[in-house]
Amino acid sequence: MKKLFNLEKIKALSYPPFKTLMIIHFLLFFLVILVVSQLHFTIPGFSIKGLYQFPNIWEFFPWVASWFNIFLTIVLITLVGNEFAYKTFRQNVIDGLDRTDLIKGKLIMILTVALYTFIMVLVAILIFGLIFSKDFSFTIIFENSYLILIYFVQAIGYMTLGLLFAILFRNTALSIILFLVYFPIEGIIRLFFKAEFRAYFPIKIISNLTPRPEFLTMTSEKSYTNASGTSSLDLSEIGIVPENLPLGITVVLAAGYIGFFIALSTILLKRKNL
Amino acid sequence: MEKVLQINNLSKNYGNIRAIENVSFEVNKGEVYGMLGPNGSGKTTTLAVIMGILNANGGSYEWFEQPFSKFSRRRIGALIETPNFYPYLTLWENLKIVAKIKDADEKDINNALGVANLLKRKHTNFGHLSLGMKQRMSIASVLIGNPEVLILDEPTNGLDPEGFAEVRNIILSQADAGKTIIIASHILDEVEKVCTHVAILKSGDLIANGRVGELLSSEETVFIQTEKPEDLIMSIKESNLAKEVYPSDEDVAVVLNADLNSGDLNKFCFEKGFTLTKIQVRKQSLEDQFLQLVK
Repeated sequence: MKKLFNLEKIKALSYPPFKTLMIIHFLLFFLVILVVSQLHFTIPGFSIKGLYQFPNIWEFFPWVASWFNIFLTIVLITLVGNEFAYKTFRQNVIDGLDRTDLIKGKLIMILTVALYTFIMVLVAILIFGLIFSKDFSFTIIFENSYLILIYFVQAIGYMTLGLLFAILFRNTALSIILFLVYFPIEGIIRLFFKAEFRAYFPIKIISNLTPRPEFLTMTSEKSYTNASGTSSLDLSEIGIVPENLPLGITVVLAAGYIGFFIALSTILLKRKNL
Repeated sequence: MEKVLQINNLSKNYGNIRAIENVSFEVNKGEVYGMLGPNGSGKTTTLAVIMGILNANGGSYEWFEQPFSKFSRRRIGALIETPNFYPYLTLWENLKIVAKIKDADEKDINNALGVANLLKRKHTNFGHLSLGMKQRMSIASVLIGNPEVLILDEPTNGLDPEGFAEVRNIILSQADAGKTIIIASHILDEVEKVCTHVAILKSGDLIANGRVGELLSSEETVFIQTEKPEDLIMSIKESNLAKEVYPSDEDVAVVLNADLNSGDLNKFCFEKGFTLTKIQVRKQSLEDQFLQLVK
C-alpha cells in the first residue's frame, strides 16, 4: 500500500494541472464561504450569520463543499484518463504491477483527495464556527458534527463513479462530458419512475448525503432535527411522498454504490486489454 | 537447459481479426531469441500477451516454469511497441516509478541512464525528448532492477545509425552477461547480428523456429537458366541432389545438399538432357531466405 501511495504521489504531485486544479478548488471553496459570510439580508427566522454558527455550520459547509466534489471528480478522471492516454497503465503492468494494483492505486488517490477535502472543510468549519458562534458549549459545537463524515463518504462516492467512467470510456474528455451529462440524464430517467423508487438512483443517493440544509428549504425531507429551529413544511403530512430517504439508509446505500462502482471498475480493467 | 518461457498454442483475436493462432515455442536461459516477421505478423501481440497486457483467447504460457504473476514480471524488463512514460515527469521521476514497482534500488536509475547515454538529460521531461532519445529511455527502463530477461520490441525504432549500433552493443553486452533476451524485429540484419535463435511469424502463424544458423544461414545457392525451367525443377526435386529448388525470377535457384557442388549439378543437368545457358554460384542473402520463408 505504501508503494502504491508513493507511486500515486509522484504521478499526481508532478502533474501541473493536478496542482493547479487543487489550488483552484481550495480557493473557490474559501471564496464562496467568505463571500456568503459578507452578505447581509434578513428574512424573519433566518440570517446568514446563523449558517456560520455551530451547529448549523456542520450542515452548511459540507453542502457548499459538495458542489466542489464534482470538481474533484474531474481531477480524478483526468488522472485516470492520463494513464490510458499515455499507456502508462500498460507500462505499470509490464513493470510488475497487477491490474488490481492499478485500481488500488487509484482508490488510494481517491481516499487521499477525499481526506484532503474533509480536512479542508473541517478546518474551515472550526475557524468560521469559532469566529461566528456565540454559544461555545461542547454539545452545541459538536452537534451534527457527524455530517462531515458523511461528506467524506460523498466525496468518495462521486470520485469512485468518476473512476468507473474513466475506466469505461478510457478518454479524459469523453469521460468528463459523460460524467457531467449523467447528472441531468439520471434526473430525467428518475421522472419515469414512481416517487418511491426515485430516491434509489446513484446520483440521487450520493447527492442526498449532503442535502440542502433544512434551514434553506421549505420542506422537511430529512430525518434529523431542524438545527436552526425554524419551522418547515412536512410534505408527507399532506400526502406527497418525499423522494429522499432517511440519512442512515442513504449512507448505507451510498456505501453499496461505492462498492459497486469499485467492483465494476476492477472487472472492466481486468477483462479489457490495456 | 533452464526454461525461461514456454508458450503453448497461444491465440489472440481482435474481434474478427486473427492476430496470432496456435503459436508455440520456448526460450531457454541465456538465449537471444529473435521474433522475426513482417509488419502485422503478430510479434507485438505475442509479446503483449505474454506480458499480461493483452488477454489471450486461447493457449497458455509460463514464465520461469511457473504461472505468470507480478513477481515473475519483476524479473523481466520489457519494452513493448512504443516507449510509454509520463510526458510531464522527468526521466529520473519516470524511472523512479519503474524502480519502485520493481522494488529496485534507486542507484539503478543512474546506471541505466548512463548505459542509455541519457545521464545528462535526467532532469528533462520525457515529453521533451526526441524519438531516438525516447527509445533509449525505454532501454534504460528495461535495465532497471537488473532483470534476468529482457524483452525488446523493435528496440532500434527511430534510432540513427549511431544509436542503432549503441543499442546493438547494449544488447550484446547484456547477452554476454548471461541474460535471456527476446527481440521482436523486422530488421533481418539486427536479428542476425545479435540473436542465437529465431521464430518467424507470418499472418499470426509461427512458420519457422530454431537456431539462426539453421533457419537463416548464408548458404550457397546455385542459380541456373534453361529453356524448360519447370521440367528442370521437377527433375531436381525427384533426385536427391538439392535441399531446396525454386524459381527465382528467370533463374532456377538450387540449394545443394552439403556434399555436392555446382559441378555435380551441371553433370546432372547434362545427363538429364537440359542445356544450361547460365550457371552462377552465389550466397543467398538473408533477405531472400526470409522472403522465401514468408512467401
